[in-house]
Amino acid sequence: MKIKAISINLLFASVALLWGSFSFAAGTQYDMRVDGLACPFCAYGIEKKFTKTEGVKSVDIDLVKGLVIVTTNDEKSFKEAELKTIINDAGFTMKSVIEKNL
Amino acid sequence: MKALLKLAQWVTVMVLIIGGITYLVWVPSPQESAYTLAKTWGSKGDSAGQFNEPTGIAVKGNEVFVSDGRNHRIQVFDVNGNALRQFGAKELERPMNMSIQNNELYVADYFADQIKVFSLQGEYRRSIGKPGKGPGEFTIPGGVAVSNNGDLYVAGFTQQRVQQLKADGRFVQQWGVSGEAGTFGGKLRYPTDVAVSKDGTLFIADGYNDRVLAIDANGEILTKWGGPFAMNILGSFNGWFATITGISVGPSGNVFVADFYNDRVQKFTPDGTFLNAFGIKTTGPTHTSIAVAEADDGSVFVADYANHQIQKWQPGK
Repeated sequence: MKIKAISINLLFASVALLWGSFSFAAGTQYDMRVDGLACPFCAYGIEKKFTKTEGVKSVDIDLVKGLVIVTTNDEKSFKEAELKTIINDAGFTMKSVIEKNL
Repeated sequence: MKALLKLAQWVTVMVLIIGGITYLVWVPSPQESAYTLAKTWGSKGDSAGQFNEPTGIAVKGNEVFVSDGRNHRIQVFDVNGNALRQFGAKELERPMNMSIQNNELYVADYFADQIKVFSLQGEYRRSIGKPGKGPGEFTIPGGVAVSNNGDLYVAGFTQQRVQQLKADGRFVQQWGVSGEAGTFGGKLRYPTDVAVSKDGTLFIADGYNDRVLAIDANGEILTKWGGPFAMNILGSFNGWFATITGISVGPSGNVFVADFYNDRVQKFTPDGTFLNAFGIKTTGPTHTSIAVAEADDGSVFVADYANHQIQKWQPGK
């Protein structure tokens, strides 16, 4: 009975550890403030550039807040300069970026 | 003190005179009766008759073809807005401006960097071009037009150029300097769309230069228009633009321009004489009139991006 309880505890601990490691390895979210995001030609250009970048999981564009929100998997990270280049190539200027671990 | 007052008076009078001349020369009045909004159809969604960001429009006979951007499909309606069919979901990634020639629909695919060709019934026929920055290659094509002889004209949004290609995709020539945005020296600034008239005149929507360029069959600029001197001065007066996203030549031969940030369509003669303007003002963060096409009876259909709908306008009597 005691052995069974220990086994269950070990199982819970393993699941918790595994869950924790997944949580830590879930990737990164970049919230980029970009001015003038009302024209879909530009917004789509940004969306396309990120969508075609390996390691990017999702791209959302919030026209109301002027935000480009990109999430990546755990193996992909961007430097601020890379993000600026991608946004510049699409015809925009990145004002700021907030990086969040997922 | 008196001298100063006199100077101020003189300056004020001069400003008023210059302003008056500017208004008379560069702010034309409508030459026609006002268009009226006959109807709208559509709402946001992915069912038949709904749209998720309509981005292009073309008309052939009694059928209206709509690029349904985020639903990556083409929807076809009759001129009263009844849904007839849809196609392209397998082949299209992000359809944008379109044109019809010889009973084929040419679609600029923004994400696939190709022109996709369909029959008007919806059968996929072929793709033209491939991703890249070289001759005959595309990077973010925003619009396509086809002339009577089958030549294609493709607006390359971020490549800052319009390419002329043979029907099989062979490069002929280009306008604009690849990868260099500009207003002078033959440069374009984010061209979004193109149209060709029956006589072979090419009209370029020079999107962020807020102007239209008309180019003859020999490739020379015939005229350009959009604000004072067509030199990237944006505004909301008649004949001025604030980011052009679509252009078409109607059966009447007149040129229709989707003036996106001004939420309207402007109509011109082929030489750039202003005729009319109409549209629905936006209530949101983005804008309405993104693409336009005229039907044989003079009705004008507008892809309304902000409201996920189609507008049908009737000419005044």
